[in-house]
Amino acid sequence: MAQASEHKEPLIHLSKRTGVAPLRAWLIRLAAVALGLIVCGLAAMLLIERLRDNPGRIGEFYYTFIKGSFSTSRKFWKFLKNLSILLCISLALTPSFRMRFWNTGAEGQTLVSVLGCIAVDFYLGGKIPEWLLLILMFIAALACGAVWALIPALCKARWNTNETLFTLMMNYVATFLVSYCLVIWVANGSSSLPKLKTGKLPTIGNDYLLIILIVLLLAVGLYIYLSYTKHGYEISVVGESVRTAQYVGISVKKVIVRTMLLNGALCGLAGYLIGAGLDQSVTVNSVGGQGFTAIMVAWLAKFNPLVMIITAGLIQLLNQGAAQISQDFNVSGAFPDVIVGIILFFIIGCEFFINYQVHFRSRAGQEGRSVK
Amino acid sequence: MEKQLALQLRGITKRFGRVVANNHVDLDVNRGEILAILGENGCGKTTLMNMIAGIYFPDEGHIYVDGQEVVIRSPKDAFDHRIGMIHQHFKLVDLFTAAENIVLGVHEEGRYNLKEVNQRVTEIAGKYGFHIDPRKKIYDMSVSEKQTVEIIKVLYRGADILILDEPTAVLTPQEIDKLFDVLRRMRADGKSIIIITHKLHEVLDVSDRVAILRRGEHIATVNTAETNESQLTEMMVGEKVSLDIERNDPVDAAPRLEVMHLNLHNAEGLHVLRDVTFTANGGEILGIAGIAGSGQRELLEAIAGLQPQMEGDVIFHNPKKDKPVTFFHKSMKRVRELGAQGMFHDQNMKPVSFDGMSTAEIRKWVESGNVLFKEDEIIDLRDKTPLEIRQLGVRLSFVPEDRLGMGLVGSMGITDNMMLRSYRKGPAGFLDRKKPRELAEEIIRELKVNTPGVNSPVRRLSGGNVQKVLVGREIAFTPKVLMAAYPVRGLDINSSYTIYHLLNKQKESGVAVIFVGEDLDVLLALSDRILVMNSGAVTGIVDARHATKEEIGLLMTKTDRARKEEA
Amino acid sequence: MKKFIALLLTLALCLGCVAAIAEPVAKENVKLGVILLHDEDSTYDLNFINGVNEAKEALGLSDDQVIIIRNIEESAACTETALDLVDEGCTIIFADSFGHESFLLEAAQQHPEVQFCHATGTMAHTAGLDNFHNAFAAIYEGRYLAGIAAGLKLNELKAAGKLHGEKPLMGYVGAFTYAEVLSGYTSFYLGAKSVCPDVEMKVQFTGSWYDEKEEKAAAEALIAMGVDLISQHADSMGAPTACENAGIPDVSYNGSTIASCPNTFIVSSRINWAPYFAYIVNQQIAGEPIDTDWTGTIATGSVVLTDVNEAVAAAGTVEAIEAAKAAFEAGTLHVFDTAAEGFITKDGAAVTSYMADVDTDEAFTPDTEVVADGYFHESEFRSAPYFDMQIDGIELLNSKF
Repeated sequence: MAQASEHKEPLIHLSKRTGVAPLRAWLIRLAAVALGLIVCGLAAMLLIERLRDNPGRIGEFYYTFIKGSFSTSRKFWKFLKNLSILLCISLALTPSFRMRFWNTGAEGQTLVSVLGCIAVDFYLGGKIPEWLLLILMFIAALACGAVWALIPALCKARWNTNETLFTLMMNYVATFLVSYCLVIWVANGSSSLPKLKTGKLPTIGNDYLLIILIVLLLAVGLYIYLSYTKHGYEISVVGESVRTAQYVGISVKKVIVRTMLLNGALCGLAGYLIGAGLDQSVTVNSVGGQGFTAIMVAWLAKFNPLVMIITAGLIQLLNQGAAQISQDFNVSGAFPDVIVGIILFFIIGCEFFINYQVHFRSRAGQEGRSVK
Repeated sequence: MEKQLALQLRGITKRFGRVVANNHVDLDVNRGEILAILGENGCGKTTLMNMIAGIYFPDEGHIYVDGQEVVIRSPKDAFDHRIGMIHQHFKLVDLFTAAENIVLGVHEEGRYNLKEVNQRVTEIAGKYGFHIDPRKKIYDMSVSEKQTVEIIKVLYRGADILILDEPTAVLTPQEIDKLFDVLRRMRADGKSIIIITHKLHEVLDVSDRVAILRRGEHIATVNTAETNESQLTEMMVGEKVSLDIERNDPVDAAPRLEVMHLNLHNAEGLHVLRDVTFTANGGEILGIAGIAGSGQRELLEAIAGLQPQMEGDVIFHNPKKDKPVTFFHKSMKRVRELGAQGMFHDQNMKPVSFDGMSTAEIRKWVESGNVLFKEDEIIDLRDKTPLEIRQLGVRLSFVPEDRLGMGLVGSMGITDNMMLRSYRKGPAGFLDRKKPRELAEEIIRELKVNTPGVNSPVRRLSGGNVQKVLVGREIAFTPKVLMAAYPVRGLDINSSYTIYHLLNKQKESGVAVIFVGEDLDVLLALSDRILVMNSGAVTGIVDARHATKEEIGLLMTKTDRARKEEA
Repeated sequence: MKKFIALLLTLALCLGCVAAIAEPVAKENVKLGVILLHDEDSTYDLNFINGVNEAKEALGLSDDQVIIIRNIEESAACTETALDLVDEGCTIIFADSFGHESFLLEAAQQHPEVQFCHATGTMAHTAGLDNFHNAFAAIYEGRYLAGIAAGLKLNELKAAGKLHGEKPLMGYVGAFTYAEVLSGYTSFYLGAKSVCPDVEMKVQFTGSWYDEKEEKAAAEALIAMGVDLISQHADSMGAPTACENAGIPDVSYNGSTIASCPNTFIVSSRINWAPYFAYIVNQQIAGEPIDTDWTGTIATGSVVLTDVNEAVAAAGTVEAIEAAKAAFEAGTLHVFDTAAEGFITKDGAAVTSYMADVDTDEAFTPDTEVVADGYFHESEFRSAPYFDMQIDGIELLNSKF
């Protein structure tokens, strides 16, 4: 033993966990969120003038998080509405992600759908009955999203192009397409299309309820599609192993194209909800980065449509809470991003501790002590 | 000669999560001996050796080299204590020469002098009887040559304790003999050699002592001279096991699958199948032998329709003459097609015509069992996809080498894996999990699959259980041809015998079984005929009841030499 | 002040309505909500933030009485934010970006009890709402003053024989080809022409409000064409930097660039929004209606010039600017003076009439005669500029934006 202590064991070593109990995994995630919130508080004390001078108001800081989504009924509805749009895009991504087709182009697919449905509204609005207009807008949105997703899918199936880069580039094409249309459409040259008077989705209850219900139905429907239909099964097989799919005679190309069509059409639905349900207008920021946030929502939910309701809610809660902090404490626009970034860093980082166990060198040098 | 301890392990324990890979293992290795570590797959042999070689760090326990306690944190530490390991998967740079690979990562004083290195490599090779050209690039080398480079790499670094992980798995009998000669020479030179294996006869052939591991525990170390196969097996498995493989004579062997002039170039343009021609008979096990990578995988995949760019014909004989047509393996569309071609007659030998009949009428007639095949069906599988092959009613089952990467979906449970072949059945777009679940339960029961449940991911199952699930599924579809690639690789002895038994049962029921194996003893004991392949070509088909291992070993390397002579 | 009254009268006539009587609001109950397109990183939005803070100081409002919300898209998010601000108890809600207007208008329709003010917009005078207001500033006057400084500099160069060509030539980097920019560069040109009659100008558009690379490239292209002086209407440091590098005098915009361009910066004009914020808050406290279209002027302190960089500017610049300023305040000087012989010509002819599109319909139909009393009445029929004539002496190098 005396001899042993002369040699140095590694200070830290890692070992992979096998089969983590779900409860333990969730506890680790919860701890990560808590830790993230604490670090946010510290960052706030350092960066926000009003808190630096008066650290006692830190409680208010945390309260503001909740306030962002729940203080008034309007904020709560807004929370549910934003959650629904984000969830809708996340759901759209899910089939392709289950297939391990890393579609980073939801932003563009959705934006192009907004553009498509607003184009119909812009040119036909007022000239045809509203119900027909809404149907045409719907078709246009779905078609645009589907085409935008189909292009990279076909190239992947035909030439095995890298879908991640391809779909990413398509986002920029979509953005420029919107800019181009706005230059043509907006006569005063400001590239800012005022809210159109036609093409507004009917409302039930309040402005947002219909949208929320549609997306909720979609979540359940997609869950059934992925878990209980032949198509969903094929997606899972292709995602797990292309060779297995070939082995059992699944046409991989067909599944890729079909799934991306679905993905694009669902992005189209999201675009329709944004265009016809909310904005009646389009700008290059109509989707506002939600196409990228959706990737995280889907990933955090392990591509389970029902769990996505929770993860989309979490992300939306963070966003609104952080915006409320920026408002209440009158801090620069970048601060909410810092807050959201810190918390997401902890949430994503904790997956490492779910998958690996960390051992520290013990004093005795014999028995490894382990944490978490 | 006085025995001198080179390496001692005391109380070595290693856990992976809740799995204990090694549990308080004690082991002694002497100078100048060959110690075999024997155990079934998953018993912790490789883990234990990886701790000596610095790949893993033990959770508990002590390691002593020459009586001094040492701590080995990295492969470099291991080399500092003159320990070197030759892994099962070689770690060589393809574009470098043998000598360049050997000096790679060696920190020596002075300038890098390739000439000197070449000379030293040649010296080492000469001393132990290796044949190696230090200037040859790795990509030009055979598997056996690459292994030689790995061994010299370790010797070059001055290792006195050499660990070889399953070194014979990739070698022909002749190459194994050569390797063992080298090992004996090293022993004579005072080196300690640890060889990991699960092949009993090799253990008896080369080792001085055998250490047996079972489920992570050290069971015993015995002198090789004082033991025998059945004793070792018993210690390894923990119970008495019969090592005899049953083999019945084929009954009514009739050609079932004719492979003719099969040629295939892979994606890199290499000619991986060269004019392969053979016939597999129903009621017979056709073994396929060859060094790993001789085209066995490509051959089976070509037959199964997974190599669309292949040339040549694969003819399937379906013994259907005077048997009723069913919708079990034929679609309505296909039945109509065959009917139009005049392939059916009724019980009175009158030709059947479906002209002017509705789908319901045809269905009724066929299901009455009165529509019979006029002839045996002869179907060319050339240019057919796996789906088309199934739709033609060809019952071809295939147990691929890559079980979780091809045969099964690792993240899915047994039920969902049962559906892989059959999920398309059923009218609507929805899956029917009822029948697959019943099948899953049946397989679990019949083949004694050890699993937490039908929905537990098959990835979590042990190798043997995974294979039972895969073979069970392929057999459940009552194949006419069953192809199995390395079906017992990585399996424990009991599971292996379950698989042999299943293959024999298929043979008895008239199935043409094609069995690709690596253990020549098993191939010789199980097969009726053995087809030997080398470099994508058939070098011979022998009668398994009369052939010897040496004969097959020569066939396994035949073309290589012939090619060299031509050049 | 005469002009101010004239403006109010015109408005009253145009709309045929008088703003409803508003209830006075106690000072401590006033709450101002400000919606910004970006944050401090954008000079445009920073200008508003500075304006709000200045007004807040001046009025003595507490921290809780001003809410600033940053990074709001020109979409339904703007409506939502405005409604949130109503929930927060705001009595006045302001949005700063042109594209916010239609969305802010929607919130205004839902909440007649709250005042909504929008900078740079064009819809208030046609929307028919008592609680929706547009505001802008007569920045064309500021540009005219800056133009005087440019003209004097050109005269100096001419006297010293340092002109690149025979005639003095100015370059101008603009963002887009619409009224706000057209009005801006024309007034700048006219300011220069008022002291340097033979000046000509070339304009290069970039198609973006903020694109440092493009703006710099545009300025460099102009310099290569041999311009003697450059000014700009875009928000980055691109053009001033190019001028400093080439040693070409520069009249900047939206604040002084003297720190980075000490050898070329002459003067800069900008809009100060503090007077407008003070105005709307004070009107509410007093229970007075807020103008549907409010145009800040030199007199209100909304149009301001930085200190003249004496090291670069020609002698007498400060005095000339002060004189013109006084004339503006006295109402004796008009930027777009159509009466003066040969001052504003189009295709060689004097301008006596112009129908402008004040109501911004989609087809851009001209609807209002804006030339009267010997000058073009810019920013009088509505606060946002509508001068979109192309006059002689100015050459557009590209017009794709």
